[in-house]
Amino acid sequence: MILEALIGVTFLAALIVMLSPDEYAGRLAFALSLLPVVGSLYMWAGFDAGGNALMAGSIAYRTQIDWLVAGGYRLQWFVGVDGISLPLVVLSTVLTTLAILSAWTPIDTRQSQFYGLMLFMEANLLGVFTALDFFLWFVFWEAVLVPMYFLIGVWGGPRRKYAAIKFFVYTNIASLVMFIGFMSLVFNLPVDSFGLPAITGSLQAGELSRFVGLDPAALKLAAFAAMFVGFAVKVPVVPFHTWLPDAHVEAPTPVSVMLAGVLLKMGTYALLRYNFTMLPDVATRPLVATVIAAVAVVSVIYGAMLALAQRDLKRIVAYSSVSSMGYVILGLIAYTGLGIGGATFQMVAHGLISGLMFMAVGVIYNVTHTRMVGDMSGMADRMPITVGILVAGAFGYMGLPLMAGFAAEYFIFQGAFASTVIPSAPLFTAASMFGIVIVAGYLLLAMQRTLFGEFRLETDYEVRRAHFHDVAPLAVLLLCTIALGVAPDIFFTMMADAIEPVVAVVGGGA
Amino acid sequence: MAGLFDYTPAVVLLPFLSFLIAVGVAISGRDLLPKGGAVPGIAATAGSFLLSVALAVAVAGGEVYNETVYAWAGGAVPGTEGLELTFGVLIDPLSALMLVIVTLVALLVHVFSLGYMNDEGETGLPRYYAGLGLFTASMLGFVVADNLLMAFVFFELVGLCSYLLIGFHFREPGPPSAAKKAFLVTRFGDYFFLVGVVAVLATFGTGQFAGPESFPVFAEEALHGEHAVNTFLGLGEETWFTVVGLLVLGGVIGKSAQFPLQTWLPDAMEGPTPVSALIHAATMVAAGVYLVARMYGFYAVSPTALGVIALVGGFTALFAGTMGIVKRELKQVLAYSTISQYGYMMLALGAGGYVAATFHLLTHAFFKALLFLGAGSVIIAMHHNENMWDMGGLKGRMPVTYYSFLAGSLALAGIFPFAGFWSKDEILYETLVHGLGGQPLLLVGYVFGLLAVPVTAFYTFRMVFLTFHGDARTEQASSPEPVGWNVKGPLAVLGVLAAGAGVVNLAPVRVLTGAHVDFLHGWLDAGFAELTVHHYEEIDPYSSAYIGGEATTVLVGAAVSLGLALLGLALAYKLYAVPTPTEHTAKLGSVRDLLYDNYYQDEYQVFLARRVVLPLARAADTFDRSVVDGAVDATSSVSLFSGSRIRRIQTGVVSNYAALLTLGLTVLLVLFGVLGGWLL
Repeated sequence: MILEALIGVTFLAALIVMLSPDEYAGRLAFALSLLPVVGSLYMWAGFDAGGNALMAGSIAYRTQIDWLVAGGYRLQWFVGVDGISLPLVVLSTVLTTLAILSAWTPIDTRQSQFYGLMLFMEANLLGVFTALDFFLWFVFWEAVLVPMYFLIGVWGGPRRKYAAIKFFVYTNIASLVMFIGFMSLVFNLPVDSFGLPAITGSLQAGELSRFVGLDPAALKLAAFAAMFVGFAVKVPVVPFHTWLPDAHVEAPTPVSVMLAGVLLKMGTYALLRYNFTMLPDVATRPLVATVIAAVAVVSVIYGAMLALAQRDLKRIVAYSSVSSMGYVILGLIAYTGLGIGGATFQMVAHGLISGLMFMAVGVIYNVTHTRMVGDMSGMADRMPITVGILVAGAFGYMGLPLMAGFAAEYFIFQGAFASTVIPSAPLFTAASMFGIVIVAGYLLLAMQRTLFGEFRLETDYEVRRAHFHDVAPLAVLLLCTIALGVAPDIFFTMMADAIEPVVAVVGGGA
Repeated sequence: MAGLFDYTPAVVLLPFLSFLIAVGVAISGRDLLPKGGAVPGIAATAGSFLLSVALAVAVAGGEVYNETVYAWAGGAVPGTEGLELTFGVLIDPLSALMLVIVTLVALLVHVFSLGYMNDEGETGLPRYYAGLGLFTASMLGFVVADNLLMAFVFFELVGLCSYLLIGFHFREPGPPSAAKKAFLVTRFGDYFFLVGVVAVLATFGTGQFAGPESFPVFAEEALHGEHAVNTFLGLGEETWFTVVGLLVLGGVIGKSAQFPLQTWLPDAMEGPTPVSALIHAATMVAAGVYLVARMYGFYAVSPTALGVIALVGGFTALFAGTMGIVKRELKQVLAYSTISQYGYMMLALGAGGYVAATFHLLTHAFFKALLFLGAGSVIIAMHHNENMWDMGGLKGRMPVTYYSFLAGSLALAGIFPFAGFWSKDEILYETLVHGLGGQPLLLVGYVFGLLAVPVTAFYTFRMVFLTFHGDARTEQASSPEPVGWNVKGPLAVLGVLAAGAGVVNLAPVRVLTGAHVDFLHGWLDAGFAELTVHHYEEIDPYSSAYIGGEATTVLVGAAVSLGLALLGLALAYKLYAVPTPTEHTAKLGSVRDLLYDNYYQDEYQVFLARRVVLPLARAADTFDRSVVDGAVDATSSVSLFSGSRIRRIQTGVVSNYAALLTLGLTVLLVLFGVLGGWLL
């Protein structure tokens, strides 16, 4: 029942905040958002699942109730967590609370609606990461888009309408493509429900039947392609990434934090759950694996090169997310314990670090009202602690050892290097690893020009030290990043446990 | 004594603790501790030093230690075939020796900083001492690392600390730029290192340095067909090991500032001088060479990798030396001398001179720390003017600095009987005899090394004479600022070591007299069997040959290198030991410009970054906005446009709709008539 309580309380909190007066909305939202944090930590403490939720593993906090029957298929309220989803649930709750805290300074209109939508989004995100019935999952998946659309479209920058519509339409079309792909599988399986474990089991038992002249293998390939493209938009993977920088640049800081920190992980999470868990026989075809590995390498290198060309700090971090997500794709297609485990770990690590970076840039923006690299220099002189954390976070982004990003990237590299699924795996791995040089290049360059040197600010605002409630979330994120870097097993053990069955199907090694 | 080794992690953790304390003070923004946080740092490094000495004593007693301390990650990953990602401690003669060097230099640098930073009224001292503490801790963690992954982890942290400390004066334009360059250039090398780390673990399933289950041992066994390893890309074992060895070497070349990644090091002089001493003598730059020594067993089985190391080293020794000839600033000369001296160490490692390289690492640590701290003392005296042409005549006014600096210079120049003579001579000797033993490549390296000898002596004594001799050329030089005990003390300690540290390995004396005075050789020949000198000599591809006999070769080699060194010294004496020296190097004309501009090494690297990579990034950005995003926007435009056209059908006039309905029905009926029914 605790999952229902978690999601229910979050929805209720959203409603309460929505109805509260603007003056108190921020503090109220912060206080109420602590409830899901406590709930998710409590779930973590009592976590006892083993194996993969989709592959006959034991599911923690499982509830499975028939809801209604449509067209011969039972739709269920079916939720639960395993070692892959629990870390993402914890990440979502913690990051939402910190994002709400970071909104206190910049959000000064329609606060109750803003914070209400943030909590509403959190509730749906929790649903996405815990739902184990396709229909239920899809409802949550689509419902996340709605608050995000308004958060960008109402509180965003000058081109907010363009960015919000682009985000919504692009990802919605992607959902449609994915939906068609998945349904073409389900309707040709002898299953009577949309339960994901049942569908996975049936697929892997080879029960897929022919469909209008397509043999099962071809149907699987088509479905795999449709779902991959659909999720790739969300991740985003090059060349489906162009909505992301627009959305990030226009979105207010706390929304960027949620977008980069959690929403992108919906895409990689879904890729892992659907494409790579349900259809391993398609993913491991040499040609498919080569294409996906190539897409991953291109995302890493091309995304990093784009970041190098930017002047807007937020755009830099946005493109670097494309680069970091490329590593996730590489780890997934490696089909090794360390590869997929590293990819899953990277979802959490990148959530923390990119959240930290967007927040830090936001704190600077709050006082300077600019994010352009050329418009300021020497910020370290005026905001020493903020800048100190930003520098630490940037090094975390560059993959400094003993911070979460290094652990994730190292696992992925180690896992991908020895992959038997990717042809010429060492070459693909080495190529993608060059991203660690480019990321250092653009972050160090941007830091040198904005943070160091003589103090100068084009926008003529008076620069004062940031508020405590602006800096505190940064410090929390930094500490989490270091903790996960020093002791990755905090999450990695449970992730590895849940991933083992996925890898075992393919027979991949380390 | 087994209990003592259990405290080894404290060697690393003590400086780390001082880092945490200093960070706390820095965040508080108040003057919580006296001396801006220096005291915890001094106490911590002193504690580490004492512990290191105790460990060295225990190692001298024949004990060694190799234990896993912390399981970092991955132990739980099923199907990883025992790939353990752990941190551990390896204490053997090599690491014990290095621990003593690093902690001693770090301690002296901390004390010296009291004079250089505190007494000079610098701001941000807690940040400075935090950096020093973390730097020391990272390096010590690297030294005791028992496996390659852990070595990489601390190698990177060393890089971070260099960034923080080189960029200490962040309000000025130079230091942040130099810091960025240092991190970026070494990161470029570390990219190859990381690929190498991943490759080693994927190949051998372990990154351990020592023990029967270590990767150098596996590599050796694999070449004898006694152990199965995974090789990749269809390469044979020997080729693959060479590839992996060269990948790891990328990190070494970056951190130890070898050609072509040496460009960051001279710029790093933007950092405070004590930091330069730490970077050059004992920490960052030493890390690269130490890594090769640490995993020497792996390189020893790969002749190609050894050859590359020797050639890169020999070339760098000469190449960097020539650039040092024309520099105007004291610290710049020292910077190029560092690159050159680490080149010698690489030459030694590549030539099978494992002991010689370690020996030079030891003596260089002392005399280079001494020279940097001496330079720091001069810089204090000169109110932070580093231009040697503004100095002169400081000899009489700063005797402690002068005589210690002189000792360091004699050691650097390789003059008998100072420490540097013995170590450099042994490097050249090893290279020569192994070269004569049928390795023409090593003879090339030997010639490079030999040619660098007079160059080194010349630039070293040009520096000494310009700084300390002759007449004072500026007002500041005639009345220098006095320096305190905290400056003189470290100089005195290091001066003694630079003069006398050669006694630890008087190899030529052993050859000539038969007395066992090559203590370092004996020291490094103990401990784990697979990490001993005689084991390395067994597996490396070299054999020795002599000119005449062994003794003759020793004498001829020593005479030639000493003669060349004296030649360089004499030339410097003739040109610069005069009351008012002139810029003789100006006579070199365009050659001087070439040397002064470092063979345009910086220019081409900056060109690559600014004129190739950045435009490429911009082109990608343009492509992304116009083509990739253009396609997205075009899809939307097409939909909107077609929508707007199709909308015209919806005229709202009833008769139009009626006409369309009738027309449609007619078309359908005709179609059915022609086809004879439904399509399907």
